[in-house]
Formats: sequence, C-alpha cells, structure tokens
Amino acid sequence: MSKLLNKSLRKLILYAGLVLVVSIPVYYLIISRLWQYELDEHNITLTPEAGREDKLLIVGAVTLLTVLFFILLLTVFIWVNRRISRQLWQPFYKSLEQIKNFDLDQNISVVFDKTDIAEFAELNKSLDKLLAGNIAAYHQQKEFADNASHELQTPLAIVQSKLEVLLQGQTLTQEQYTNIEEALNALSRVSRINKNLLLLTRIENSQFMEKETIVLPELLADMLPQFATIADGKQITLSPVIQQGVQITGNRALVEILLNNLILNAIRHSPAGSDVLVNLSAKTLIITNPGSQSLQQEQLFKRFAIASSQTPGTGLGLALVKQICNRYEWNIHYSFQDGLHVFNLHF
Amino acid sequence: MKILIIEDEPELSDSIADYLSGEEYLCESAATFKEALDKIEMFQYDCILLDLMLPGGDGIKLLEELKKHNKQEGVIIISAKNALEDKIKGLQIGADDYLAKPFHLPELAARIYSVIRRKQFANVNIIKQNELTIDLLAKTVMVNEAEVLLTRKEFDLLLYFVSNKNKVISKSALAEHISGDIADMFDNYDFVYAHIKNLKKKLNEAGCDNYLKTLYGTGYKWDI
Repeated sequence: MSKLLNKSLRKLILYAGLVLVVSIPVYYLIISRLWQYELDEHNITLTPEAGREDKLLIVGAVTLLTVLFFILLLTVFIWVNRRISRQLWQPFYKSLEQIKNFDLDQNISVVFDKTDIAEFAELNKSLDKLLAGNIAAYHQQKEFADNASHELQTPLAIVQSKLEVLLQGQTLTQEQYTNIEEALNALSRVSRINKNLLLLTRIENSQFMEKETIVLPELLADMLPQFATIADGKQITLSPVIQQGVQITGNRALVEILLNNLILNAIRHSPAGSDVLVNLSAKTLIITNPGSQSLQQEQLFKRFAIASSQTPGTGLGLALVKQICNRYEWNIHYSFQDGLHVFNLHF
Repeated sequence: MKILIIEDEPELSDSIADYLSGEEYLCESAATFKEALDKIEMFQYDCILLDLMLPGGDGIKLLEELKKHNKQEGVIIISAKNALEDKIKGLQIGADDYLAKPFHLPELAARIYSVIRRKQFANVNIIKQNELTIDLLAKTVMVNEAEVLLTRKEFDLLLYFVSNKNKVISKSALAEHISGDIADMFDNYDFVYAHIKNLKKKLNEAGCDNYLKTLYGTGYKWDI
C-alpha cells in the first residue's frame, strides 16, 4: 500500500515527464524553422557540415534544457508534496493516532485538535460524535448492570426473609415445606448470579484497585482445608503439589475468587472417587480434573456459556476468572489431555 | 433484649421483626433517618440493625452519631451495597458487623446473638442450657462438666443453632453459613449433613439431650 499523496505525485511526475519529452521534438522543430528563416532572411548559406552541426547543437540544447527543467520540476514536486503531507495532513494523522490509541475500557476521552481545514474539521466532528455515542452506550450498559444488580438486592432480601418466616409456621405440611425449601434454593441461585454480575461489573469498572503481595502457598494452605471438606463429601481426593515461596501481586479478594472458582469448579465437575490436582510452581498454577470430553474452548470463559437450569452454578465463575486474569495480564488457558481437564494459569 | 431495626423497606423490617420476636427479642423499627435518630437518642437498645441507604440521610452518619454520644449498642450494618469500602468504613467507625443483602434470617440472628454476647458479656461469656455449657471466649463445650471436643466448624454450627433456637432452619441457609460464598457451586448440600451428623454424634455420646431435630427431611431445629 502506498500513501495517498505519493499516488498523486507519481501521476503528476509521469505527466510532467511526458509533456517534457513530447516538447523536445516540438521545440526542435520550431527552433530549426526559426533558424532556417533567419538564415534565409540574411542570405546566409551554410555548408552541409555546419548545418548538421547546428542541428545537433539545437537538439542537444533543447534536450539538456528539458532535462534540467524536468529535474527542477521533480524537486519542486517532491518538496511541495512533503510539505503538504507534513503540514496539511498533520491533523489527519493526529486524529488517526488518537483513534488508534483509544480504548473503551480505559475511560480516557479523546479530544481532537482544532483544524482550519474544512474536511478534517468535519471528519473530527463525525469521529467525535461516533466516539461519544459509543462511550455513552458503553457506560450505560455498565451502569445498567451495576444498578440492576443493586436494585435487585433489596427485593431479593424481602422474598428470602418472607420465605424464612414462612418456614417457621407451626402447621406447615411436608409438601409446603418442600416447596418453600425449593423456592429458597432457587432464590439462593438468583442471589449468587446477581452478586457475581455485580462483582464482574465492579471489576470492569476498575474497582478493587488495592494491590498487595500475596504469598500463594500460604493463601492456598488457608483455603484448601475448606475445599477438602467439600471434596471429601464427594469422595474426591484433592492433591496439592505446592512450591513454597511463590509470590504474586494483586488484590487479595480477587485472587481468592479466582482460586475459589477454579478449584471448586474442578471439584464440582469431577466424578465421585476421582482426583483433583492443584499444582503450583514458580510461574504457573495448574488445576487438573478428570472428565469425559473436552469443553468448548471459545465458549468456556464467556458469561452464561455453560449455565443451564440443570447445573447449580451461576454461569459466571469462569467469566470472573477471565476478567481477573485480564486485569493482571495473567494468562489462563484450558486444554483437554488424556481424559483430563487442564486449567493452566500463568502469572 | 431490645433491637432497633433501621430499614426503609417495611416488608423487610417486618420479616426481621417477625423472625426475631419471640422469647428473647423485642423489636422496634425506624424507617427514616430522622425517626432512627430520635429513637437512638431517646432509648437504649441492645443491638441496632442499620441499613446504610435511608430516606433523609446516610446511615453512616447515624453510626457516627452513636459513637459521638458514646452509646454502647452493638451495630450490625445491613446493606444492599456490599461494597468493600462501605464495609471497611462502617467497621472503622465502630459497627460490630456487616451483613450484605440478601441474607438469611438465621444468619442475621446468629450475628445479633454474637454481637450482644460480645458487648454485654465481655469477660465471662458463657452460655448455659441445661446440661450444655458453651464458653464463647475459650471456644469450649461442656456436657455435664465433661468437655466435648468439637472442630471449629462444629463449634460454629452449634452456636448457630443455639442462637436460632426453636427456629426452623433450611439446609441452604446452613450451607451458606458453613461455607460462606463458596456454597455457590454445589449441586447438593451433603457436606452440611456430614457436619451436622458429626456434631449430633459428639453431643449425644457426651450425654447431651437430642435438641437438634431434623424436620421435614431437610430442615433443622434446635428444640428446647
């Protein structure tokens, strides 16, 4: 690809060259005619040698001059072109640079420089409008998720408390109890989805910015007993292989969520009697659990990608994991090898 | 025990009052900032439940007011915001606990119980119930003067039941209490059952009466 101005420059040079080349015989013809006329006028006759010499002289002079002018033209063209592209197109390149560096997530608005060229001013105005629209839509969407989750908390609390009061009834039948209990379970799920959505938006909105150094083996040692209780209930063995002294920097609450979601997912989706491996080394954390078939790579980390009414999960666990990894520029990768789901976290 | 429920949603404060009212607690409610302020200034409570978003003012201000007047009430913030900053701020100003909405009523009752015990029985914090004695500070349990060794989870669970005595508690409320947020992930709450079974067994073997009843198959009640 070539630059816009270079394209027009090439055409101009070609045209100028053509005109100059064509002008050589024309000049020669005219000058020869004039020369002949003058000779006739003053009754001068030349010897054939002198006439040939004159012809050559004329041709030489005309060609030389043409070439000289062509070079002059060329230099001026290139110079003017450079100037134009540097000065005239400056606002264009600047706007381009700004759009290139623009990131919706970063919350920095773009202000285009003022320009006195109508076309660019119009371009900037249109870009401004386009960006403003996008930014507004993006914020609206984020705010909506945040507000909606927020506003849901209180009605959820009301329903839950009413159901729990209902449980206290003295004349409750078994069937009524079961119904209330089932409603409570479903409600718990709604509350958790809501909580996780809120969490996701908060991470996106750049909250949880506090960072600290976390000694991962210590954190895991704190968390693993709790996981082990749950794993025991399913006759699953949780086998940690942990290298001591591994440190990362991040928000403790977020890192806990990340570990929780990854390890509990593995426990939850393993058949009874199997092994879940947690392997921490200097730069990676690998969590492995047995499974029958590969999960869908591209879908896995999307919101609600695998949630269904059959699973008790919120469908947001891995989306949260991904979001947290993005925040700290860690890499999370899933693969399926020899009947094992492998989640590989590289930090 | 007197409890003030500062909450602008009448349905929620009614439920809380409904659940707590009984043998031990007497509940009053305030739905606005002004009403709450009046009540706090005029009366003495054992525990205050404080919603942060109130018509007429920020709940945090009420908390500051309480501390300014050197009031000794235990304060539990119940908030829909569940923002970390709010929690930290509230606890710094002097709230005793923080519970995010939506919460289980038995969970709230357990928190109230523990806040009141902490505030009023700071030095000797012992719960006695027939043959059962629970020392909250030492975290020990005695049945007929003989110590019963409980795990931390079991001790916690026992306290949860004792602070919700004669109430029916659903398995999901228990699951959430035991595992905190991670109860999320589970298809069944069998781990709850395992903990309860162990607790029951230990208490029975020590000669404790069977207070912990199973109701309707999946519910529990500390019956006394």
